[in-house]
Parts: sequence; structure tokens; C-alpha cells
Amino acid sequence: MSVQRSFYKDRIYPLIFMFVTTLLCILLTSGLHLLTLDRAEANELSFARRAILQAADLDFTNTTDGIERAYRMQIGEEAGFYTATGTFGTRYIIPLDGPGLWGTITIMVGLEEDLETFSGVAIVSQNETPGLGARIEESWFTDQFKGKRAPFIMVEEGTSSAPQEVDAITGATRTSEYFKNLTARVPGEAQRLIRGE
Amino acid sequence: MAKSKLRKTFVEPLGKNNPVFVQILGICSTLAVTNKVQNTMVMTLGVTFTTALSSWTISLLRNHIPSRIRMMVETMIIAAFVIIVDIVLKAFYPEMWKQLGPYVGLIITNCIIMGRVEAFALNNKPLPSLVDGFASGLGYTYVLLSIAVVRELLGSGSIWGIRILGSWWTNWSIMIMPPGGFFVLAIIIWVIRETVMKEESHA
Repeated sequence: MSVQRSFYKDRIYPLIFMFVTTLLCILLTSGLHLLTLDRAEANELSFARRAILQAADLDFTNTTDGIERAYRMQIGEEAGFYTATGTFGTRYIIPLDGPGLWGTITIMVGLEEDLETFSGVAIVSQNETPGLGARIEESWFTDQFKGKRAPFIMVEEGTSSAPQEVDAITGATRTSEYFKNLTARVPGEAQRLIRGE
Repeated sequence: MAKSKLRKTFVEPLGKNNPVFVQILGICSTLAVTNKVQNTMVMTLGVTFTTALSSWTISLLRNHIPSRIRMMVETMIIAAFVIIVDIVLKAFYPEMWKQLGPYVGLIITNCIIMGRVEAFALNNKPLPSLVDGFASGLGYTYVLLSIAVVRELLGSGSIWGIRILGSWWTNWSIMIMPPGGFFVLAIIIWVIRETVMKEESHA
């Protein structure tokens, strides 16, 4: 009798307890996840649209409504790329992704009509080291690409001078390299996506 | 009597039993998130919420948890609360969620939470456990916020993203990089131990 009891107490009860705890935790978190799914998806879409606007170098108010309004007015959706029209003529925005240090970096690149000159670069998602590689999201970094043509040369932070040069990020040499390689693919990708070559 | 004990439970983690500068717990996040005041605020709110509620939940279950699997149960409950924080941030404060990135998930590994559960919640009633967890969170919060204020001010010339120092200020980039966290944390621990704590131990 006592052997059986301790078998229950030592083996079965912990198993049941763990199973029930896990089940409850899963039900709680997945319930909450499902409840907020619509909002989370709307946020994702808004982030992507903001990146497109930034890549096209357009002015907009940085709120969900502001992004939505500017996007509807000025952006056209094509197969695999986007267009922006305005006083500057037409700009083409292409999505691009490639490897980073820890995960995939997804960006939007805006190009002028020659399909070579950058009008802007915006990060859609990245998993680089916070505080170091993750600084590719900061505007001083992305703004450097405006009006320049790939391929770029990464130089020490704060020392870029020639038109091909951009400042790399101190402490994030690898991420900067990956970003350089990613942008180097832009002209080819643009030809393929937009001109269908 | 019960009231004064509760008061002691609340006050101790703020001062002489502070999780950061006395127990030296939760240092990884102290170094990682304190380069911006805004991020620090969200991180510490998340930790306070998780510590308080995990302590409370585990204290409720403390007489039923089989002791040999208690760590698994604790981790599971802590993880559930952290995922709740993550989901809420993602849905309602997406900008903040994006900036904090992997750090929200890493609240799970914050040693303060597990530490308070093991050291306090397993042997105390739910209410004192809730108070202890909450106070430990607050003790963590104010230390981290003070580090963040120093780091953001010196590293970016701003506080809460608002420019404080004029254009004459040259940013100390070291302050927003991980070494800056080590420097400021060490200086703060040293100052507090040399001044406030020393007086207390003499008294």
C-alpha cells in the first residue's frame, strides 16, 4: 500500500501537475494571442507601409492614420514592387531581404527613374545585436544612402566623404558588411523586378 | 504586527536588500536596456508585473507543487506572464515592442524573478509574496532608471528622447554601448555602498 502511494506521489502526481499547469498556461497565452491577432497584424502592415513611404522619401505624419493616408494617396502596388508618384516624377520601391548577423534583414529600397540612384532605404525587420547592429534602423544610417548609387564602400563611422562611401557602424562591422552586400544586390533586383529582365 | 511585517517586506527590497545593488541580480538586463530611459521604463514595468504576479501565483500553489519539479513549474508560470507582456506590447505599443525586440522575452531569464520565487514565495502567504515581488520590481526599477538617465544624457544628450543638452554637447558613444552600462552600474553600486549603506551598518 505504502509503495503504491509513494509511486503515485513521486511519479504520477508531478506528471499530472506539470501537465495541468502547462495546459492552463498555454490556454491563457494562446487565448490572449488570438484576441489581439487583428491588432498585431494591422501593426505589422502599418510598419511595412511606413517603410515603403520612407524608402520613397515622402513626407507623412507618423501615426497609423497618417501612414495609411499618405500610402493611399501616393503609392501604387505592382507585382513585386511599389511605385510612388509626385513632383519628383516616379520612384520605384522594391522589397529585399538577405542574411544579417543573427537573422534575416528585410528592407525597402526606393529608386529614382534610372533604377540606380537610391531615394531612400528603410528597415522592415532585423534581428541584429541591440545597441550595435540594430542601429541600422537609425535614421543617420539609412539617410546616408539617399541620392547615392550601389555598390557602396563602408568606411569607419564618421569618416565618409566620397560619393560611394557610407559610414559603417562602430562595433557592428559584420552587420555593416551584410548590409553593404544586401544593397549591392539592389540594381540587379530592380532590373529583374521592374523591367522583367 | 502583521502590518509592520508587510511594511518591512515592502521596504527591504527598496533599500538594504535591493535586488540590483545588494543582491547583484538581474545584471544582464541592467546592462542591456539602460541606454534609453523609455526602453528602461517599459522593461522595468514588465519585470515588476512579472515578479509580482509570478510570486503571487506560485505562493498560491506552494503547498501543491511537488518539490522535485518546482523549478519547471516556476519557469512555466513566469514564462506565461512574460508572454502576456509580449503580446500586450505587440498589440498596443508596437513601436516599443519593436525597439525592445528580444529583451521582452528575456525577462524570463531575469534572475530577480526566479530569485524572489525561490527565496520568498515558496515559504510565504500570497499577499506578502505579492508585496515582496512588487517591491523587488520597484527596487529594480529605480536603480535601472537612474542608470538610464545618466547613460542617455551623456550618450545621446537627451532624456526620454527629448534633447536636453545643446548642440555644443559631444555624445559619449561609449555610454550607449554595453561598456557604458558596466561603468555607470559599478559607479552607482560603489556610491550607494560607500555612502548610504555604510551609515546604515554603523547605526
